[in-house]
Amino acid sequence: MSNNIACTHCHLEFDKSLMIEDETHYFCCKGCQGVYHLLSDEGLDSFYDKAGDVTLTPQTNQYEDSSNFNSPAFYDKFVKIDSDGFSEVSLVIEGIHCSACVWLNEKALHKMDGVIEANINFTNNKATIIWADNIVKLSNIIDMIRAIGYNAFPYDSSVQEIKANAQRKDYYLRMAVAIFASMNIMWIAVAQYAGYFSGIDQDIKTTLNIAEGILATPVLFYSGWIFFRGAYFGMKNKVVNMDILVATGASLTYLYSIYITTIEQGEAYFDSVSMIITFVLIGKFLEVLSKKSAADALDIMGKNLPAEVNIIKDNSLVSCKLSDVMIGDIVVVSSGEKVLLDGEVTKGSGSFDESSLTGENEPIYKNIGDSIISGTVSIDADIQLLVTKDFQHSTLSHLVQLLDNAINKKPKIEQMANKLSEYFSTVILSLSFITFLVWWYLPHSFETSFMVGISVIIIACPCALALATPVATLVGLSIGAKRGILFKEAAQLETMAKVDTLVVDKTGTLTIGKPEVIKEKLLNDFNFSLLYSLVNLSNHPVSKGIVDYLSKEDKNLININFDTYNQIPSSGITAQYGDVIVHGGNLKLMRDNDIDIKYTSDNTLFYFAIDKKVVAIYELSDKIKDGAKDIISGLASRGIETIMLTGDNEMSAKKVASEISLERFYFEQTPEDKSKFIEALHNEKKVVVMVGDGINDILALARADIGIVMGSGSDIAVDVSDVVLLNSSLKSLEESFKIARTTYGLIKQNLGISLLYNAITIPLAMAGFVIPLVAAISMSVSSLLVVGNSMRINLKWNKN
Amino acid sequence: MDSWVITMMLGASIFLGSIALFAFLWAIKNGQFDDEEKFLNAAKFDGQDELNDAVNQERKREELKKNYKPE
Repeated sequence: MSNNIACTHCHLEFDKSLMIEDETHYFCCKGCQGVYHLLSDEGLDSFYDKAGDVTLTPQTNQYEDSSNFNSPAFYDKFVKIDSDGFSEVSLVIEGIHCSACVWLNEKALHKMDGVIEANINFTNNKATIIWADNIVKLSNIIDMIRAIGYNAFPYDSSVQEIKANAQRKDYYLRMAVAIFASMNIMWIAVAQYAGYFSGIDQDIKTTLNIAEGILATPVLFYSGWIFFRGAYFGMKNKVVNMDILVATGASLTYLYSIYITTIEQGEAYFDSVSMIITFVLIGKFLEVLSKKSAADALDIMGKNLPAEVNIIKDNSLVSCKLSDVMIGDIVVVSSGEKVLLDGEVTKGSGSFDESSLTGENEPIYKNIGDSIISGTVSIDADIQLLVTKDFQHSTLSHLVQLLDNAINKKPKIEQMANKLSEYFSTVILSLSFITFLVWWYLPHSFETSFMVGISVIIIACPCALALATPVATLVGLSIGAKRGILFKEAAQLETMAKVDTLVVDKTGTLTIGKPEVIKEKLLNDFNFSLLYSLVNLSNHPVSKGIVDYLSKEDKNLININFDTYNQIPSSGITAQYGDVIVHGGNLKLMRDNDIDIKYTSDNTLFYFAIDKKVVAIYELSDKIKDGAKDIISGLASRGIETIMLTGDNEMSAKKVASEISLERFYFEQTPEDKSKFIEALHNEKKVVVMVGDGINDILALARADIGIVMGSGSDIAVDVSDVVLLNSSLKSLEESFKIARTTYGLIKQNLGISLLYNAITIPLAMAGFVIPLVAAISMSVSSLLVVGNSMRINLKWNKN
Repeated sequence: MDSWVITMMLGASIFLGSIALFAFLWAIKNGQFDDEEKFLNAAKFDGQDELNDAVNQERKREELKKNYKPE
C-alpha cells in the first residue's frame, strides 16, 4: 500500500506506476490532468486549497453531445426569459462534494463572457444561471461545467416548487418582524409587571403602553396578515376556523389596549397580542416547512429527458418533437433508450425491459414484426420502429391520463386537528360573547365586562392548540427522515396511522427485484477472470447478478480484454481470448453450440463453457428481502392485513407468497387491475396503503390513501406517491407504520393537554379571576407543555 | 424621574434595533439565506477576491443590459 499516491485533482489513491507524471504532480487519468491545467490556466487553482482532502469523481468524457441543449424544443421546455430579457435556466449539477466545488463552478461560470449570474445551492446542488443568449449559448455553459469535471442536467423547476419557496420566504419575513417585536415587548412588559405589584406612575405606564403599542402594530397587521386572510377565506366558505379565533382575539385585544392607553386607566394587553400572533405563526410555519421537505430529493431523481425522438426522414436521421411524430414514421431506438411511442419493429432485434408495464424483470426478446408498447426500455437492441399510434394515443400517454384521474380521486381523510379547531373556535367565541353579556347584565361597567369577555379568548390561547399538531408531525417527520423515510406531507402521518390494509407489489418490493446467484456449481477448475470479464461485457440482469456474486467472493479478478466477442440476443455471449473460446449464457446458447448439458432447475440458469466444455453452472433467482415474513406477521398483529398484487405469473407469485406465508395474493395484474382492486377496497371502507416501485404500480400508488414507493423505484412512481423509503428495505416500511402511529398518539396527547388546560382556565376567566400576569404566564406554559411533550417522544425514539 | 428619559431610551433602543431588523429583512429578501450551508461557508471563504468578483459581476450585468437586445 505504501506505493499508493493521491491524484492531484481527484485525490483518489492509485499505485504510482499507473499514474501519469506531470512535473511534480501525479494524475490518475487524462481527464483529471486536463481539469488541473484548465484551472491553473484560469487562475482558479486555489480551489485545491479550499477543497482540502475531499475526493472528487474523476473526470469522464461519456456525455451526450451538448449541442442538444441548444435545440428549440429544449429551450421551450427549460429556458425562461427574465424581466431584463436575459435567459435563465435551472440545472442540477452532479459531482458536487464540498463547498469548494460550489465556489469553483460559480467562479468558472462568472469568468465566461455573457454569463450574468450563476448561483448554486450547496444543499440540493441546484443551480440558477442567467446569461445573455446572443453572446453565449447554453451548450457552452454546460460544456464549461463538464470541462471542470462536473456534469449538469436541466430540471423543470415546477411552479409548485417556486411557490413553496416564495411562501417559505414570506413566513421568514413575517416571523422575523413578529419575534423582534415580541422580544422587545417582553422587556417592556417586565417593567409593567414590576409596576403592577410595586406601584408605578401613570405617566410612565402610559409611555410604556405607547411603546408596546407601536411595537405590536406591525406584528398584528404585517405578521398577523396571514390570519386575517385565513379568517376572510374561512368566512367566505362559512367555516369557523382557527384563523378567525386568532384574528378576532388579537384585534379586539389590540383595540381594547389602545382604548386603555388613551383613558390612562387599567391594564393594556399589547404583549398578549404579539405573543398570540407570534406563537401561532410559528406553528403555521412548522406546517409549511414540513410540506416542502421531500420536493428537493425528487428533482435530483427525476432526470427528465428532452421530449424529442430521432426519426428517419428522406433517408437521413432528424430529431423531431414527440408530439409531431405521425403514424407511419420510422423511429430509431438505440440500446439503453426508452421507447416513447407504440410501434412495430421493422429493423433489428434485441431484448427489451417491459418491467414498467408488467413489473416482470425478465427481458423480452423482440424481432422484426413484433409490436412494442411505449414505456418499455431497450436493453441491448438497436432497432427501427414503425409508429402505429401517435403520442396522444400511445399507451404511455393513456397511462398518464389514468394517473391524473387517480390522483384527483384520491380520498381525503379529514384531519382530526382541523375538525377539532373548528369546534373549538366556535365554542370559545360564543363563550366569550356569553360571558360579556352576562357580566354586563349583572350589572358591571362596559369596560369590565368587555375585558372579562376578551380574557376568555386570550386565556383560551389558541397557541397550544395551534402548536399541537405541527410540532408533533415535525418530530415524526424528522425521526422518519433520519431513518430514510420521507413523508411528503405532514398530514399523511395521520392518515397512515389509520391504515388497516397493506397492498404490496412483488418484484422490487417484497423481492430484491434483480436475479442473484443462489447456487454455484463448479465442474472443473478454471480462471474466474475469464468468466468475470465475459459477463462484464453485457448489461443483462443475469450477467449483472453474476458480476455482483463474483465481486463479492473476491477471487482476485482482473479484467481480460478478449480478442473478439459476440453478444447473441436472448442467448448469451461468446468470446475468444488467444486460442481459448468461451461461451456464457442460457440453455439455448449451449444447444446452439452443441455443448452437452444435463443439469436443470426451476431457477434461471447460467452456463459457462470453456472450449465447448461446461465448467460452471450458476442458479439465479430473485431473492425475497430480509425479514419479509416477520414484518408481515408483525403488521398482522397490529391489525393490518397484507395483500400481494403482482404482474407475474401464478407460479412465481405462489412461490413468494408461501415463503412469507401470505394468504391473499393476486397474480397477472395489469396496472389498471391493481388500481381497480384498490378502489374496490375503498368501497369496503378500508384505508389502504399501497407499496410499490415500478411504473406498473403508479396508478395504484396514486389511487391508494397512502402510496409508498421504494427509493430505488422509477421516477414517476416516486412522484405520485406520498412516502419514499430511501433505503428500499421492508424494515423501513415497518418503521414508517410505527412512526405514523407514535406521531398520531402524540397529536392526540398534545390536543388533550391543550384542551385540559382550557377546561381549567376558561371557567376561571369567565368568573373574572384572571389577572394579567396569570394570563401571560399560563399562555407560555401551555405552549411549552405541548412542545416539551413532543420533544420527549423524540428523545425516547433516539434512545432505542 | 420624568417620563421623557424613558421615552428617549425606549425610542433610541427600538430605533437601533429596527435598523438591524431591516438589514435582516433586506438580507432575507435578497436571497442570502436561501441556502443554509452556503451562507455558513461564506464566512469561511469570503474575502477580497469574492468582493471583487461580486462587483465585477454587477458591472458586467449593467454593461450587458445597455447593449442587450433580445431577439
